Amino acid sequence: MSDTAGTPDGELADISAQLRRQALSVFGRSLHIRTVDTGSCAVCESEIRLLAAPHYDLHRLGFFFTPAPRHADLLMVTGPAIRAADNLLLKTYAATPDPKAVIAVGACALGGVYPEDALTHGTVDRVVPVDVSIPGCPPSPLALLQGLLIAVGRLTERVSALSLDLDAAGRP
Amino acid sequence: MIHAIAALIIAAAAAWLAAALVGLGAVRRSGLRASAALALAGGACAATGGALLAIHGAGTTLRLGAGPVGGATFHIAPLAAPFILLIGLVAAANALYAPRYHEPGRGTCAYLLVYHLALVASLAVLVAGDAVAFLVAWESMALMCYLVILRHHQREGVARAGFLFIALSEIGFVLIVLAFAILATQTGSLDLVTIAARSHRVGATWRAAAYLLALCGFGFKAGLVPFHIWLPAAHPVAPADGSAFLSGLVIKLGVYGIALFGFTLLPGGPAWWGLITMGLGAISAVLGILYALMERDLKRFLAYSSIENVGIIITALGAGMAFTAYHQPAIGAFLLIVALYHSVNHGVYKTLLFLEAGVIEHATGTRDLDRLGGLIRRLPRTAVIFLIGTVAIAALPPLNGFVSEWMLFQGLFQGFRISSHVAGILIVIAGALIALTGGLAINAFARAFGIPFLGMPRSGPAARATEHHQPIAGPAVLASACVFLAIGAPLVLTALDRVARATAGIDIHSELLVPQLTVIPAHTDFAGFSPTYLAAFMLAVTAIPILIYLAGRPRAASRRPPVWDGGILSFKARMQYTATTHANPVRVTFEPLYRPHVDLERASDDPAGRSGPVHYRFQVTPIFERYLYQPVVWLVRRAAEFARPIQSGDVNLYLLYVFIVVLIAYAVYA
Amino acid sequence: MASWFYRGLRRGIVTTRYPKAIDAWARQLPSPPAFHSARLTIALADRLVDACAAGALSRADRTLILDLGKCTACGRCIELSNGAAQPSGESLLASPDRSGLVKTVPIRGGQTGDE
Repeated sequence: MSDTAGTPDGELADISAQLRRQALSVFGRSLHIRTVDTGSCAVCESEIRLLAAPHYDLHRLGFFFTPAPRHADLLMVTGPAIRAADNLLLKTYAATPDPKAVIAVGACALGGVYPEDALTHGTVDRVVPVDVSIPGCPPSPLALLQGLLIAVGRLTERVSALSLDLDAAGRP
Repeated sequence: MIHAIAALIIAAAAAWLAAALVGLGAVRRSGLRASAALALAGGACAATGGALLAIHGAGTTLRLGAGPVGGATFHIAPLAAPFILLIGLVAAANALYAPRYHEPGRGTCAYLLVYHLALVASLAVLVAGDAVAFLVAWESMALMCYLVILRHHQREGVARAGFLFIALSEIGFVLIVLAFAILATQTGSLDLVTIAARSHRVGATWRAAAYLLALCGFGFKAGLVPFHIWLPAAHPVAPADGSAFLSGLVIKLGVYGIALFGFTLLPGGPAWWGLITMGLGAISAVLGILYALMERDLKRFLAYSSIENVGIIITALGAGMAFTAYHQPAIGAFLLIVALYHSVNHGVYKTLLFLEAGVIEHATGTRDLDRLGGLIRRLPRTAVIFLIGTVAIAALPPLNGFVSEWMLFQGLFQGFRISSHVAGILIVIAGALIALTGGLAINAFARAFGIPFLGMPRSGPAARATEHHQPIAGPAVLASACVFLAIGAPLVLTALDRVARATAGIDIHSELLVPQLTVIPAHTDFAGFSPTYLAAFMLAVTAIPILIYLAGRPRAASRRPPVWDGGILSFKARMQYTATTHANPVRVTFEPLYRPHVDLERASDDPAGRSGPVHYRFQVTPIFERYLYQPVVWLVRRAAEFARPIQSGDVNLYLLYVFIVVLIAYAVYA
Repeated sequence: MASWFYRGLRRGIVTTRYPKAIDAWARQLPSPPAFHSARLTIALADRLVDACAAGALSRADRTLILDLGKCTACGRCIELSNGAAQPSGESLLASPDRSGLVKTVPIRGGQTGDE
């Protein structure tokens, strides 16, 4: 989460993060998702939209899309958080009742491609706190599903154990 | 008891005369206040007198002087009781309202003089005992009302409005004179009581002619369609308490006249009288509310709404006459009670609405609904009182409009008891038309309350309105009267039942009210409800969830984010509905009735968004002015031009006329 | 009935079995690179850092740092790496810990030759 883990402040942050995740695990059986586009190219939105199609079928997991942030438990934010969308993102975040989570979807939202400058923040977590990050450009629907299930505690993440250092033919 | 009532009425008249004279000193605020205090005292006397008269249920006659012209007869009849009560309430409310509304000055002095004389004249109409007294009082009342309308005569449109009022009033007056003349000659007396006693001697055609003349003549004053065109012109330009007086009381005098002829002077008329009256009333109601929905000016809107409500009252009167003619006297008496009750109700809440419209006009400087908005925050007490008036006039439970309209429907729905199928069908059609007006009225008044008071201000003056120094007491009294008339309906109806017993000779007390405070439409096997218990029930139903919430709400701190608006930057006042767009569904549905003239202009032909301002102008075709009045005026003008040569100015021609007339007189009388 | 109906019944996959099992074709999706650390040199690493369109690659001393969050799997670094990088086949990379997405690869090549 942050590199202050282990210090007293860090412990508090850890506990609060744990509590948030526990709260979110309540939504493991039924979750309402609201997507927020902060200036993306809309390909991440296409992949998100595909989640409701018959092949990936979000509804069999108990997850639903909702247009109203008042009914949402989780926000999926795409795009590099352009400054013109500040008002939109902050208002949507404020309108979502607690407990809530934010998922940053795609390379743009995680800081790739567009650096911070006069027109954009670059990363979503400079505007709202992010709970789960889903890398990809765009992330496939399987990756999105993985991120959603991690957010509600039905899967554990695997990427921290991943090593990109290849050794002969395997990975140490 | 009856002497006390007579004394109260005389005291009211005296107080108003004094108020008129004291009002001449209204160049200073103290004069204005003194005049208002006297008017308030007069109003209290009149209201008490009217209430006692209704409860007492019998009348008396007073004579002053002798002969038809050298003196006057006054007859205090129970039929006038609800109207006397109403005039008292209206005068009292206006008296509380006037000191903060009017500015001291010479114009106000003249206004107060004529307004209080109008009050006295209206009271005189209600207690007139013979035809001459009635007509003199009627004409004085009309003249004083004309002067009331002309308060701001230098403003645009006022002169035309006054002219329309007095012209139509005079046409009506001529018809009323003819009606009285027929009755007086056929019964041989001018005294109203004597006419009533001898009315059975009058032949059927004369009776019909008298009634139809009275219906049309009083219809001009009451505002029945097609005699109504003075109302929407006169109400916006008169001062607020003047409009309130006109709408609250003066049009009820027209109703009183029709009731006088239909139930007292010519009782027992054939059914077709009642059916025609009912038909006119139903059509007035529907057309009134349909035209009301197209209005942007708040006071014109209220004027059309008055036409609608007068239509409802006349429907009740006409249906009552029809039922009586078809041997259902209980329902007939019940509908008479409904008509009187609705007259009082409408008088109270329409006065309230006009007074509040005056407050809005003073606070914001405009009556245009499309320039108002958000006044509930700027004028909170006005908003609450206006809301009570709106709920009452839209006939929503538990207020008095709901009770009287419920009673009207229950009366009309009993048309199946009539043996004649045609009459039964006509009565049901009238019921359907009144139901249509009820629905449209809810739409109209949701618009009338919602557009000015809710949302965001649509113009600068509306955003800066303030309640400082605005009159509150007068409208507040009327609002409490509305609530009392609803919750205390059983009491009021008992009193009105005594009036009906005295007028129509039927006592339906036991079929009207049972001890459990229930209102029953004349036959116990049909329907019934209790306004008092309904109000208590509604209070409980709203209170219980609130109590549950207060007891069981979560103790944790809660967060209050702003209203979710889709993430836009900010709300703009121009994003809201306007009064014009709110009424659009009705406008589109009833377009064949409105026959609108629509102008759509764009500043240029560029694509949308760059074409500059777009002007949309929608005008309802004034059907009655164009197709009824203008042809008649044209005919009269042609006839006058044709006859002009008679008045050539040539003295020799005039001498010839004199000579011819002398010859004829000689030949006939010699 | 239409032939596609029976064909679908025989061969169609109505829905993926994820999360019970990952579909086989997931490994062919575009994915961030994995590096042979023995073949990486400082010079090569700098060229790869310049070539990265998304700004995911950076070099700190003898460590190549790849931020998986920023990587768009465009494949430019793989093309230019001369065999030092290959697609990792890992596209399911979600994580609640942002810092856990930053991966380091030691640069072990270039002990001899370019420095």
